[in-house]
Amino acid sequence: MAATTDSVKADASEAPLLNKVNLFAGLMLYLVFYSFIRWYEGIYGWSAGLDSFAPEFETYWMNMLYIELVAEVFIASSLWGWLWKTRDRNVMSITPREELRRHFHHWVWLVMYGWAIYWGASYFTEQDGTWHQTIVRDTDFTPSHIIEFYLSYPIYIITGVASFLYAKTRLPAYSEGLSLMYLVSVLGPFMILPNVGLNEWGHTFWFMEELFVAPLHYGFVFFGWAALAVLGVVNTEVDALTKLLKKDLA
Amino acid sequence: MSASQSAVRSRAEAVQVSRTLDWMILFTLFTVILGGYHIHYMLTGGDWDFWADWKDRRLWVTVAPIVSITFPAAVQACLWYRYRLPFGAVVCVLALMIGEWINRYLNFWGWTYFPVNFCFPSNLVPGAILLDVVLMLSGSFVLTAVLGGMAWGLVFYPGNWPIIAPLHVPVEYNGMMFTLADLQGYHYVRTGTPEYIRMVEKGTLRSFGKDVAPVSAFFSAFVSVIIYFLWHFFGRWFSKTDFIDGEGV
Repeated sequence: MAATTDSVKADASEAPLLNKVNLFAGLMLYLVFYSFIRWYEGIYGWSAGLDSFAPEFETYWMNMLYIELVAEVFIASSLWGWLWKTRDRNVMSITPREELRRHFHHWVWLVMYGWAIYWGASYFTEQDGTWHQTIVRDTDFTPSHIIEFYLSYPIYIITGVASFLYAKTRLPAYSEGLSLMYLVSVLGPFMILPNVGLNEWGHTFWFMEELFVAPLHYGFVFFGWAALAVLGVVNTEVDALTKLLKKDLA
Repeated sequence: MSASQSAVRSRAEAVQVSRTLDWMILFTLFTVILGGYHIHYMLTGGDWDFWADWKDRRLWVTVAPIVSITFPAAVQACLWYRYRLPFGAVVCVLALMIGEWINRYLNFWGWTYFPVNFCFPSNLVPGAILLDVVLMLSGSFVLTAVLGGMAWGLVFYPGNWPIIAPLHVPVEYNGMMFTLADLQGYHYVRTGTPEYIRMVEKGTLRSFGKDVAPVSAFFSAFVSVIIYFLWHFFGRWFSKTDFIDGEGV
């Protein structure tokens, strides 16, 4: 393409800067999957999820938990392993255009991380409030927890770490050192999952009721603040992209 | 293409790339802030926000503004300081309220069958607009903290009054007088959150009679100013672009 044209179309043989198929397929994947999960909760929460000693609870909820855990370990190790195994060992030698294309890929990952954070930290966490304020729990592994803690949280963790690994292994801007805010924005929300240990311990030993503002829950709050580190990630990205876009036109 | 060359081939493409990235950045910022702000708010002021019979004249008015000014202050610190964008507070509040409304409808109503007029979220939009307008007009974080933070706390109850007033009218039921909101809570039983857990109208402030809500709002406004300052610096810290040495991490 001539440098003098104002056309924004890329060469026919060249891959597009933004792979829109990946972007929309990713968004739809989570939307459709979580819509199915919400349907499952609606059907089997009331019919099979109230008594953890009932056989149907084992069938519909504990088996779901076991499947989730195995699938998450498999997906996390496969995805993270693949990203690391296929890393670019000459990342500093790529062209500016390839670097921009990778930034767009990176932003697809970040969009997916934001989308996964929404489902985990907002949708399924507040949903947990109405479920546990309505029913009386007789187990740590309630229908709400099996979805919230052991499905939606691992999914955003897997997505966030994958996003971080993509940036670290394929973008020159992240190749030297570790972005502090990127680490915080991934590790902080990750720590919400281990904090479940405190939550369950407290609810098991002294607090069966569900008061959402109880100090027992403040660990979740503290680690939720780490989401603000996305501001630092945005700033880092804007700095890198500004450098890429402000050079002389080819 | 040399290292000094641009990654784009025309100014038009540069503009298109920039706009596309704007939307992707905004979506990510919106959803991540939504998640962080929502989990913070639901676990520090959520019970007052969930249920109409928790929305009293005292603790709801006191707690909700104090815990909710946090993320708007932090996001304003970044978006205004770095980009001169005067909508940090509104972005936060819109994100939070979209997350809340989806939840109240699909889950509080859709899964556990509480009517929406019993579990609607508090309205934080008037305070957010004031906070952003003060920052935009003054360009000063100190004025925004003092005037905007004060306005954030003071406007909360009036901003919610048209919604909550019909539920605060007194009713007599089995010889007892309480509010319509209390009656809703009496009929829509939350087994996991018994009545002895509900924190409403506590303390001796009732001796001042009608002044309960204004005094609570004023105290809330005072603390909101302090919280704004604190969270402004949180926002500045979270906006850093520092890299650390990977050795030993």
